Amino acid sequence: MLEILHRLLFATLDAAPALVFAALGAVLSERAGVVAVGVEGMMRVGAFCAAVAALVMPTPAAVGIGMLAGAALAAVHGFLCIRWRSDQVVSGIALNLVALAGGTFLLETHFGPNGTPPIQQLQPLHWPELASVPLLGALSGHAAPTYLALLLPLLLQGMLTRTPLGLRLRAVGDKPHAVATLGLSVPALRWGAVLGGGLLAGLGGAVLSTTVLDRFEQHTPAGLGFMALAAMVFGRWTPLGAFAAAAFFAFGNALRIGLASSAPGLLDVVPQGVLLALPYLLTLLVLTFQGQRNSTPASLGVPYEQESR
Amino acid sequence: MGERTRQALPSVLSVLLSLLVCWMLIAFSRDMDGMATATAAYLQMLWGGVGDWPRFLDGAPATVLTRPLGEAAMKAALLTLTGLSVAVAFKVGLFNIGAQGQMLLGALAAAVVGAHLALPGALHIPAALLAAALAGGAWAGIAGALKLYRGVHEVISTIMLNWVAVRLVDNWLVVGPLRGVAEAGASITGTAEIHPTATLPRLLGDMSRLNLGFVIAALAAVAVWAWLTRTRSGFETRAVGLGDEAARAAGIPVARRAGLAMALAGALAGLAGAVLVLGTEGRYPGTLGAPYGFDGIAIALIGNNHPLGVGAAALFFGVLRAGGTRMQLLDVHKSFPELIQGLALLFVAGRLIWLAALRRRSAPKPATAAPPAPAAQVPHA
Repeated sequence: MLEILHRLLFATLDAAPALVFAALGAVLSERAGVVAVGVEGMMRVGAFCAAVAALVMPTPAAVGIGMLAGAALAAVHGFLCIRWRSDQVVSGIALNLVALAGGTFLLETHFGPNGTPPIQQLQPLHWPELASVPLLGALSGHAAPTYLALLLPLLLQGMLTRTPLGLRLRAVGDKPHAVATLGLSVPALRWGAVLGGGLLAGLGGAVLSTTVLDRFEQHTPAGLGFMALAAMVFGRWTPLGAFAAAAFFAFGNALRIGLASSAPGLLDVVPQGVLLALPYLLTLLVLTFQGQRNSTPASLGVPYEQESR
Repeated sequence: MGERTRQALPSVLSVLLSLLVCWMLIAFSRDMDGMATATAAYLQMLWGGVGDWPRFLDGAPATVLTRPLGEAAMKAALLTLTGLSVAVAFKVGLFNIGAQGQMLLGALAAAVVGAHLALPGALHIPAALLAAALAGGAWAGIAGALKLYRGVHEVISTIMLNWVAVRLVDNWLVVGPLRGVAEAGASITGTAEIHPTATLPRLLGDMSRLNLGFVIAALAAVAVWAWLTRTRSGFETRAVGLGDEAARAAGIPVARRAGLAMALAGALAGLAGAVLVLGTEGRYPGTLGAPYGFDGIAIALIGNNHPLGVGAAALFFGVLRAGGTRMQLLDVHKSFPELIQGLALLFVAGRLIWLAALRRRSAPKPATAAPPAPAAQVPHA
């Protein structure tokens, strides 16, 4: 029993970071009032650029390139939505479509349909003193992103709730005009959040192609960006909530894969498709029954105009 | 510059700019003869979409025209229906990202009715179409109801409903309870083959795959246009989209208009699924590959949310996408037209940039006092 739990935890910790980073990126962007539908696209360019960069440079540096690529796509989003007050959902969807088709085009042009050549994965770190402790031992033997994914939600939560910058970021998503009356720049704060979100989404994508896989594949990230959005909503737009939701989804997935191999009979009772749909169904249920505790940022998706009101 | 031109111009310019950027993308990704390759690839795309006129004029049979044109028309039909789905929801002020899920449900309903009901020819097709429309409408209705009664934003709920639909249909129903069984007892991928009575008849026989679905899509575009511009409920729907407070004050039943428009949007996307299954696939295949539902968002916005604009955008991209397969002759991936379409949407998203640029050009003296900024229109404001 303990052995099974250990394996599940280990699998979860291996698979969760990409989802966690993307969800945190979405939280950062949306708390500042900019819709993050483009997370899927940012993950895709992050994954692609990291996989290609790792062919010519050490993998950790390539992960940085992937982050920058995510931020570059986010900059397009920011230019359209902050500078030009375009519709944020339209811009995000457009970025997704461009990243999807553009990734396929570049992949097929330069590497062929089977993905990029394999790269050196990020090396797992071992903690011998932990490895012997039951359950906690599952913490040992992961690549660096896993530990970052455990730490970053705390840092981001602290930043958002305990620092002046966090207060301003939240205020800019709820009442941007109030922030402007303090003499602060609404566009600058939103730019910061959007670019930060892009870095995180790009990191999520880069983690996919450097730790989960060892290349960029045709369909990466295959909807994981949208699951990150679900985690963000499920976690009520807070970093810790999004982390918990992402970890929960990843654990559920590890459980499903484990069940499929160890107890296939159980999957006749509850089909795989139903389990796969569960994260999205649960998110819908949470939204349906949130009642008065609506935690959506008040000005989410509303372009900021100094002159209005 | 007339108001109509000013509305359409950003879309046209966006598409042209996108074509140019993508042309350069091919040109610069080749080591030698990039520009010639890019131009040749574009020509292949054109002949693959509107028919190979050079070969036809050299005496090739008429099928070199009808085959590509038929493919283009069928792609255009699907894009029209999903584009209309998104556009109708926009008209009432809702963003329907869920056309993909609604289309999936519609396709499944059409496949089930087509394969498991035995009806005479005259009834079978209408029954399958109706089932698809109802299934798509019901799926969109969930998002509508959540919005109206629980205040759940439709963008989030339709994204979630998309993935619920994909997982339940592709990962469960089609591989489980509804999986078809072939003659010899060997199982096949996808649902059972539909009856011949449910197959949409081909309009040109063996000369192309053009079928009744194209007529259905064209009729739908005209009907939606007539409904929006010529009927009271259509007018009320647009009024709700332009400002629901004002509409409510004018005595328009806002909730009913929004709910019905969303259901209609779902029904249109469901019809797209039916056309795909009854017209070309003949069953619900293992996975409903092409994301026509997401394409619908691009088509609706490039068509400026006008039913006839949607039809025009769908025809244009239908031609490009049918021709995309022929670009492979020059080693350009067949999904290239999707890149053109995505970039065009990105440029359309910068609509305000276009309008500002156009205003600057048409303003007689930019140096005079503050120009009277016309109320810039956000796509679905």
